[in-house]
Amino acid sequence: MSEHRLRIDPAGTPRATVLIVPPLFEEANRTRRTLVLAMRALAAEGFAAVLPDLPGQNESLVPLEQVDLARWQDALVEVAADIDGPILVAAVRGGVLIDHRVKAAAWWRLAPVGGTSLLRTLMRARVSADREAGLTSSLESLQEEAKTKPLLVAGNRLSPEMVAQLGTSEAQVVEPLRSISLGADGIAGTPLWLRAEPGEDAAMAAAIAADISAWSKTCGIS
Amino acid sequence: MTEANTVDATLRALLADVLGLGEARAAALTEDSGLFGELPEFDSMAVATVLTEMEDRLGIVIDDDEVDGEIFETYGNLLAFSLRKVTD
Repeated sequence: MSEHRLRIDPAGTPRATVLIVPPLFEEANRTRRTLVLAMRALAAEGFAAVLPDLPGQNESLVPLEQVDLARWQDALVEVAADIDGPILVAAVRGGVLIDHRVKAAAWWRLAPVGGTSLLRTLMRARVSADREAGLTSSLESLQEEAKTKPLLVAGNRLSPEMVAQLGTSEAQVVEPLRSISLGADGIAGTPLWLRAEPGEDAAMAAAIAADISAWSKTCGIS
Repeated sequence: MTEANTVDATLRALLADVLGLGEARAAALTEDSGLFGELPEFDSMAVATVLTEMEDRLGIVIDDDEVDGEIFETYGNLLAFSLRKVTD
């Protein structure tokens, strides 16, 4: 089953296509609006920009508990295979854990995060919610539970495979890569992916698009 | 800047990032400012995010059993907990 892909085209033939690999789980919702603003800015610069739904995320009909990081990596390879011309992968946060198998001309990563850290936050949300409900759970008891059956954490039902893979997953080496964080030496903006209430930041979106465009030139893509 | 000031500044910036407080509201937090149960943005997901970010930004490790409702009651409690962890 094909997943929804949001594609924004420039006027005329694209210089290249920027494949956006979104953050994972709730962080994807918190950043989506700003990433789409960045895609519009990229289109104004002559790039096509594609933001695919990962199976089990956003509008996907696939139950989340049927997927894992390996399936997401496969899905991105399939999306890339349908794109004509050079591809520049732009991954944000946990997106960096699944972006390395795409056949791309270059990679750009914003605020990379390890799978352990993402999993820890999700499990803590469950522990905290359990405590409010008068139940006792711990990171250890949840880890144990997740070995044999899907684990519900912060509204996400994660398969044993997903939990196991997240627990050990780190960004893989890719080349050429520009890895950038927020702040004075990176993208000016705030970590919207942490935000309890979704926000948006047009200036940050413009900065993201400008940085990706400059990196594309540096790599000789366009 | 003393270590206490650094931890205080880090914590305020972190709460601003997670709760979307904005600089002014974050700077206006006092020892007695209520957090969990007081700020509507401070739900269980926000608690989890704050804990993981505290670990990353303050270079500490927080165990489950150290976390009780009390440390998120007020800003003062959260600051005292953080200072204790940093100097441990």
